[in-house]
Amino acid sequence: MSILAYNGGCVVAMRGKDCVAIATDHRFGIQAQTISTDFKKVFHIGPRMFLGLTGLQTDILTVRDRLMFRKNLYETRENREMCPKPFSAMMSSFLYEHRFGPYFIEPVVAGLDPKTMEPFICNMDLIGCPNAPDDFVVAGTCAEQLYGMCETLWKPDLEPDQLFEVIAQSIVNAFDRDAMSGWGATVYIIEKDKITERTLKTRMD
Amino acid sequence: MSSRYDRAVTIFSPDGHLLQVEYAQEAVRKGSTAVGVRGANCVVLGVEKKSVAQLQEDRKVRKICMLDNHVVMAFAGLTADARIMINRAQVECQSHRLNVEDPVTLEYITRFIAQLKQKYTQSNGRRPFGISCLIGGFDADGSAHLFQTEPSGIFYEYKANATGRSAKVVREFFEKSYREEEVANEHGAVKLAIRALLEVAQSGQNNLEVAIMENGKPLKMLDTDVITDYVKIIEKEKEEELEKKKQKK
Amino acid sequence: METLLGIKGPDFVMLAADTTHARSIIVMKEDQNKIHKVSDSLLISTVGESGDTEQFTEFISKNIALYKMRNGYDLSPRESAHFTRKNLAEYLRSRTPYQVFMFVAGYDPNAGPELTFIDYLANALPVNYAGHGYGAIFASSIYDRYWHPNITQAEAYDVFKKCIAEIQKRLVVNLKNFTVAVVDKDGVRDLEPISAASLAA
Repeated sequence: MSILAYNGGCVVAMRGKDCVAIATDHRFGIQAQTISTDFKKVFHIGPRMFLGLTGLQTDILTVRDRLMFRKNLYETRENREMCPKPFSAMMSSFLYEHRFGPYFIEPVVAGLDPKTMEPFICNMDLIGCPNAPDDFVVAGTCAEQLYGMCETLWKPDLEPDQLFEVIAQSIVNAFDRDAMSGWGATVYIIEKDKITERTLKTRMD
Repeated sequence: MSSRYDRAVTIFSPDGHLLQVEYAQEAVRKGSTAVGVRGANCVVLGVEKKSVAQLQEDRKVRKICMLDNHVVMAFAGLTADARIMINRAQVECQSHRLNVEDPVTLEYITRFIAQLKQKYTQSNGRRPFGISCLIGGFDADGSAHLFQTEPSGIFYEYKANATGRSAKVVREFFEKSYREEEVANEHGAVKLAIRALLEVAQSGQNNLEVAIMENGKPLKMLDTDVITDYVKIIEKEKEEELEKKKQKK
Repeated sequence: METLLGIKGPDFVMLAADTTHARSIIVMKEDQNKIHKVSDSLLISTVGESGDTEQFTEFISKNIALYKMRNGYDLSPRESAHFTRKNLAEYLRSRTPYQVFMFVAGYDPNAGPELTFIDYLANALPVNYAGHGYGAIFASSIYDRYWHPNITQAEAYDVFKKCIAEIQKRLVVNLKNFTVAVVDKDGVRDLEPISAASLAA
């Protein structure tokens, strides 16, 4: 069994019209045994930037902490906010630094550029190969199911409330077909002037 | 005579002095003045900037630097040395977060800076940092603190203090005019800091740099015109004071 | 083989640990304490590779003590757990990883009680209740049934009794005796051990 599927969990992010959405499940398990049902894999790391990490939980925490170290240092030294694009580039090089002993995670970045307000989403493999498409990115133990759902429901230029519906339906119906993910979900919608956090009630089995 | 005892930092002179450290303190005394005032719920740091050459681009933040979201530092002495120190302190602030999740306390980061300075007075092939730092900010419990470190590596906590050129004059000024009720709000604390700077400022009001930090808020650098407003108020008060004195006579 | 249990209540954290020290098929001793008092309001319970457990717990607790000595204030339970996890994670990718499973339990006068689950991979999570080891498999359903947000210390102790009764009934390994400790606003304190004998009485 892959070490990336040791703890389970999934994250998905989507672009909309002048907005982005990112969603996470709540499960934390050790293989088939569920330990907790309130572990969110998405972290609010900037005014309009979120980082989602799936994979081995220890590495989720380590990578999150180490990236925050670099990001905070950048921000105090440069005296400005870090945009999603350079953050992703930094993460990519950080992951590649560990090319031959990688952190077992699959990251997802979602945010708006602080200057242009351009939506940005990006995901990577565990050694930092970036992918920044203009529709959606998925990661986790139910990535295949998520691809299916997103492919069916997503269309260009969704408004924030439509985008919420699409991403919520995508993640819920994807992880209901996966034993390693689920047990509740949280969706974040990032717009120019506000961030909405919604918790989804889902099947708890 | 002393020339034999100031070759290396690690050599004492016969009368018990470390001359290199004292020279470093001299470098601080020659540096432009920096002042710090701890208010009830704010910390104000102020420095006198060197006058900028005619064709030089004036960069905004120079002598007042952030070490972390909640820690700010001003210094007097060799700017180049200070850059190194700031860098090390910034990394330490983040390392502390990485290690124990929470931000540093003011005493912690001050001790770190002092320790580093001390190390440079006792290691071979080094020279002491030619800077004295004023470190201000807030602990996690919301309390304001102001610390000062010296090239020798000692540090103390203050309600208000100054370092650099004519620090003694400013310190005496603070001792005379620091009142708890006056610095209870941000306005009073800023005013006290600017008044202190004006006591010794050589190039006048145009070259002041003042920063305020309040708990949980980002550092605020005061605009030139805001400083000018404060200066006007201070000058007016001074005149009124003089008037009163004259009338008494 | 060994088992750790932990429950967090509204104003306390309670830990239980079996006292067996076994080496391959032989029981070496029956009175090993696996709940370590680290500071006035911090407990760490550890199981895993014997030797690693002692070494790592000592290393962490001495460093927490050193931090207090240097800085004049204690690390909070949350900070302690973070520090523990970070060290374990760094050792995981070294040539000498520690194979330990632990609970970091503490009481912070401001933030309240904190119970952190940490396994040998340095997976870590604050939890309301959890267990480590084979015994924990039987405990989780009992926790789910009896834990509630306002659980009292007496109730938590009872839940441990139910878990231990089940472990002793169903688990093939013989875990006779469990030590129990609690940490709350008054500090850390040992409670009556739970054993087969005390359960029968």
